Amino acid sequence: MAADELTLLSASEQSRLIRDRKLSPVELMQSCLARIERWDPLLRAYITVCGDAALDAARIAEREIAAGQWRGPLHGLPFGVKDQLNTKGVLTTLGSKVMATNVPDHDATVIQRLKAAGAILIGKENLHEFGKGGTVDFPYGQPRNPWNPAHNPAGSSSGSGIAVAAGFSSGSLGEDTGGSVRSPAAANGIVGLRPTFGRVSRSGGIMYGWTADTIGPLTRTVEDNALFLQAIAGHDPQDPLSSTRAVPDYATTLKGGVRGMTLGVVRELSWPDGANAEVVAAMKETIRVFESLGATIREVSLTRAKYAVPLQLLTSDSDIATMMLRKWLRTHWQELDVGTRTRLAAGCLIPAAIYHRAMRGRALVRREVLDVLGGVDALICPTNLHPPGLIEAGKETVDSEEAMEKKVLLRRISTYPFSMANIPALALPMGFTKSGLPLSLQVAAKPFAEATVFSIAHAYEQSAAWHTRHPNLENLVSGAKTS
Amino acid sequence: MKLTREQTRTLAAAVGLDIPDADLENVTLRTSALVASMARMEAELGAEMDAVEPLPPVFPREDFA
Repeated sequence: MAADELTLLSASEQSRLIRDRKLSPVELMQSCLARIERWDPLLRAYITVCGDAALDAARIAEREIAAGQWRGPLHGLPFGVKDQLNTKGVLTTLGSKVMATNVPDHDATVIQRLKAAGAILIGKENLHEFGKGGTVDFPYGQPRNPWNPAHNPAGSSSGSGIAVAAGFSSGSLGEDTGGSVRSPAAANGIVGLRPTFGRVSRSGGIMYGWTADTIGPLTRTVEDNALFLQAIAGHDPQDPLSSTRAVPDYATTLKGGVRGMTLGVVRELSWPDGANAEVVAAMKETIRVFESLGATIREVSLTRAKYAVPLQLLTSDSDIATMMLRKWLRTHWQELDVGTRTRLAAGCLIPAAIYHRAMRGRALVRREVLDVLGGVDALICPTNLHPPGLIEAGKETVDSEEAMEKKVLLRRISTYPFSMANIPALALPMGFTKSGLPLSLQVAAKPFAEATVFSIAHAYEQSAAWHTRHPNLENLVSGAKTS
Repeated sequence: MKLTREQTRTLAAAVGLDIPDADLENVTLRTSALVASMARMEAELGAEMDAVEPLPPVFPREDFA
């Protein structure tokens, strides 16, 4: 098998080859590093590539497996991580100039767990500054969409989405406060999960939105996503809000299908006025696929979804901003990107009287989502109502009331309601535009029902088979082409 | 509510933040939009907000209510 083909196999397929000693972890790592060296100067998925250390670890994995010490399905697989999570001895910049020399002395819990499972850190991935969307100028290079480099890869876990789609790693970890895993998964044509709040430890992540921040995997298939979640989920005494609830074996229910299930199509998030026609058409076709698989479809309404974005900005942004104020905003204003500093400054200025009312508003949004979920097995809607736009058009320059409405408040409408509800939500490929840009489906379910989300997503994925398409990097310069 | 640049500057001063003139309009637009969104929510949901408490992000009850 050619090196490029190896890198684009699913993690599960790569793992089976490694387990059966038909593929060496060293060969896989070398192939990924070669791809990074060739394509990342354009795509800018990585801030730091751990080439030598990753190859050393791959050689150790090779020896362990040859000696019969196979640790499990992630053993020998390269993974990347959003440069927002601490990695021992490896530069951790948060995509910011103000953290340009930060080298942590410890690994985040999720990194410890992936390493314990035998996975190998290949690099730290580019992101919107401090993991907050809206960066205008990226200090470590402009991330680009591998399906068409003129287009936005979305964020804030931008590099984590690009790297997996481009075959630079077997999977990535991102961080999702409002949609920062799901949005880049959608824009790059891969799978991304925001887990239930408390399912995955946040310890070792530099993320100050304590009521909404979650860490989740980005992968090429749903099965891969379940593998990565299996490795990182579970209680951690270092995170006081992590759940003690047992972690199910996601592999055993993955292929359960959707026959007999009822799926709620969220009206306000599926075909509101202004939604892109190709997105709406893909969503209607997706409903047809689910019906053919035996699911019952019911249209449901989330009337309060429209408030999710401002509520999150009024509360989570304020939480983050107050930390940033003390550490950076007062003293390093000009070193922060204009999008970061103005967004967080606004967060600092929200009066307590409004913040606390907004927290009550959040309780209403969450209650509505959970009430609707009481009557269905899961909710479905597009992850984004528009295909990934041009990079320049997407920059969140706020110079008018209209710009604030369109670029900040409306853009995030599809993902924030589920963040406000703190429930699991997964993005997966739902087709392509005529010009070859990815479209994405979102599946959300009750708290801790990740197994249900995986089962529904897997059934659709296997039927629709969009995951078998990959960006053709050879044609990057000439435009969007697919193989 | 539409804040003025001067009101934004005063709010910022209250938290010890000095926003350069070049960014003041940007921050004013952002803050005004968020405050205005909250006013719309209060008009629609204010009475219901009075009847609920803010919830922790975790789920303390098994029925997730």
